[in-house]
Amino acid sequence: MRISLRYALSLLAVSGLSAPVAAQAQVTPERLERAAAEPQNWLTHNGGYDSKRYSTLTQITPGNVKNLEQKWVLQNQVFGAWESNPLVVDGIMYVTERPNDVIALDAKTGKVFWLYRYTPSPDARVCCGANNRGVAVLGDTLFMGTLDAHLIALDAKNGRPLWNIAVADVKLAYSITMAPLVVKDKVIIGVGGGEFGIRGFVAAYDAKTGKEAWRFNTIPGPGEPGHETWSGDDWMHGGASVWITGSFDPSLNLTYWGIGNPGPDWNPDQRPGDNLYSDSVVALDADSGELKWHFQFTPNDGYDYDSVQIPVLADMAWQGKPAKLMLWANRNGYFYVLDRVTGQFLLGEPFVKVNWASGLDPNGRPIQTPQPPGMPTWPGNQGGTNWYPPSFSPRTGLFYFSVWENYATIYRKDDQEYVPGRNFLGGGFTVVTPVPGAPTIGIGRRGPINNWTNEVGSGATVALDPRTGKRVWTFPQFDVTDAGMLTTASDLLFTGGREGYFYALDAKTGKELWKANLGGAIVMAPITYRIDGQQYVSVISGHTLVTFGLRN
Amino acid sequence: MRSLLLTGVTPGLLSAWLAVLAATPGRALAQVEDHQYSTADIRTGSRLYGAQCALCHGQNGDGVAGVNLPRQQFRRAASDDDIRNTITTGVTAAGMPPFRLQPAELDGLIAFIRSGFDITATPFTVGDAGRGKAVYDGTGACAACHRVAGMGPRTAPDLSDVGAIRQPAAIQRSLLEPSRAMVPINRPLRIVTREGRTIRGRRVNEDTATVQLIDEGERLVSLSKSDIREFELGTASSMPSFAGKLTGEELADLLAYLLSLKGQ
Repeated sequence: MRISLRYALSLLAVSGLSAPVAAQAQVTPERLERAAAEPQNWLTHNGGYDSKRYSTLTQITPGNVKNLEQKWVLQNQVFGAWESNPLVVDGIMYVTERPNDVIALDAKTGKVFWLYRYTPSPDARVCCGANNRGVAVLGDTLFMGTLDAHLIALDAKNGRPLWNIAVADVKLAYSITMAPLVVKDKVIIGVGGGEFGIRGFVAAYDAKTGKEAWRFNTIPGPGEPGHETWSGDDWMHGGASVWITGSFDPSLNLTYWGIGNPGPDWNPDQRPGDNLYSDSVVALDADSGELKWHFQFTPNDGYDYDSVQIPVLADMAWQGKPAKLMLWANRNGYFYVLDRVTGQFLLGEPFVKVNWASGLDPNGRPIQTPQPPGMPTWPGNQGGTNWYPPSFSPRTGLFYFSVWENYATIYRKDDQEYVPGRNFLGGGFTVVTPVPGAPTIGIGRRGPINNWTNEVGSGATVALDPRTGKRVWTFPQFDVTDAGMLTTASDLLFTGGREGYFYALDAKTGKELWKANLGGAIVMAPITYRIDGQQYVSVISGHTLVTFGLRN
Repeated sequence: MRSLLLTGVTPGLLSAWLAVLAATPGRALAQVEDHQYSTADIRTGSRLYGAQCALCHGQNGDGVAGVNLPRQQFRRAASDDDIRNTITTGVTAAGMPPFRLQPAELDGLIAFIRSGFDITATPFTVGDAGRGKAVYDGTGACAACHRVAGMGPRTAPDLSDVGAIRQPAAIQRSLLEPSRAMVPINRPLRIVTREGRTIRGRRVNEDTATVQLIDEGERLVSLSKSDIREFELGTASSMPSFAGKLTGEELADLLAYLLSLKGQ
């Protein structure tokens, strides 16, 4: 049996014997591909190309999780929601903070090695805050997208910029908030701006030079298949942004990307047709960017149901046969199972109250039931779930994600003319409240008091059986939650919510095993890693990144 | 009597669905100082606001720190012209771009902001604040439960700044239909702890694991839900309705007094 030196090193790293060697190793494409075999690290945005956010570390267990203690804290030096997701590479953590700072720190102590500051152009426009969700790594290089739609390569050892390219025109309100995806020798990134009339795309760049290798327009141009799903010039400003990191299946050489809403957001009448590939998942060849298949969740969307959820890739039996599946809880309130080889629709079930559609046809296409003007639509504008990273545990066979329950919105359509760089929304919406003028759920918490209460909507952490699309358990929260998920091989589920609680739940039953009040909204997913035999769990709450480990 | 009569427009399905008080069709005007804004302007502003402003300022106008548009809290603007200037020149440092809008659109936005985002334009009459204070202290007996500027009990919500934080129509709704108008956070709570202690009070905050309230003895109480045996959240306000108990004139005067309470 022939084993490459690199692979041998990674095996050594797994064994935990070779810390000095592993600490010097570069992050090769092979290591990224086998990220799951290095549970001491967190090498990609979602812990591996399959985006399961499942770790094989088992030091922290349901039995001892109550002995978690805070090991260190990193205070954010700027204010605003902190949606970043750290990477951990051989003991070094890389995390971004708004607008586009990168910090390298000792993942064992929280002590900072270097801080890189980038000031985006004042022309940058984003709908929902100056967010950045993290970096990607390859070799000794980090990659970050910026609010002004640049892609920057940094030396991971000292934070010095290596190259900086414009991915798109900031004056047209293109932006980047997602963490890039590195596949082989390329850095792949998508663009935001779905509320500003952009034409979205995913593009790959040579990791060494920043030279563009391929580009996939998420709205097909004239002559391309799918262009007929747009009318007139609507495609030129039809949105279809990409603002969440995709997944990669090396065995198929396919990358998968969730695509955002069509524009203008709330007036589907202004853009007749299905509006491909808005609200879809696309499978793109990793080397060429060629479209292999697509599946559209919400054709001609009038509700801002971005399909920017993270594609979760699971290999499991489907109707008795081994299958390569894609699991997807969509903002539109339906949970989907797709065959990720072909894009074939296998299952779709609503996981919250839905009234914008009466069901799905045999091909997974929704039977749309638009509500009369002034009447509420379920789920509301932020969706039954949204971009918050889910998790799939191969041990429990369950899919975990955050949902918003009893949350509805009344939409209003207006005709809107496209003006470059300006909002392109086509109407507005109000959240349904029990009392006129009562406080309603916003994109984020604005204070420590929940004055909207659960009468306007509430959150829950849900475990769903992908074989049936039905809930197995529900862990209700009083406020809504934008928290992502982390599962481990000891059947722990780590998550949080806007209230600031950081939870460890029993992944099998949903029972609360431990919680800590961290005081600020948790709007991202926890990660886990190991250094010198100690397992750590890190999570961002408000303006702090807190790292826990068992009491020694 | 110096008063300003406001008549409402037909509520849309939204307000019907929300069981807002029925309003008679007609013309609505909101008044701030010496300016008047028409319903048409308010509606224009509402649409424009949803399209151009709501993403950053939020549906409720409180999305930017230090700014609350319906409550007329601004960082720098005060007059209508100030608001107009802020919109057209932007606030570069804060990330607000300049907006190129037609004069009628600007009028609409200002009208919408000045109306406190109230497009339902429920009819109400604003009377004399001085006489309204007498109603507050006398016939209305409001001071038996509410507190203003340090005077009165704390069991019901403090009204010292109610004129700044609630809209006239909403205050009137509270006077006529207190249960329907009750903001959810203020709901009355009856709790029995595992030890058998009964606590009654007004909810001030709640999350998944805990609840905070002010009890009948004005004590601030925080409880873990795991220590609670019975948790009963009332939907009926302990405040009586003043419909039919106050004359139209008394109601208008009381509303004027409450609107004059702007806090510090």
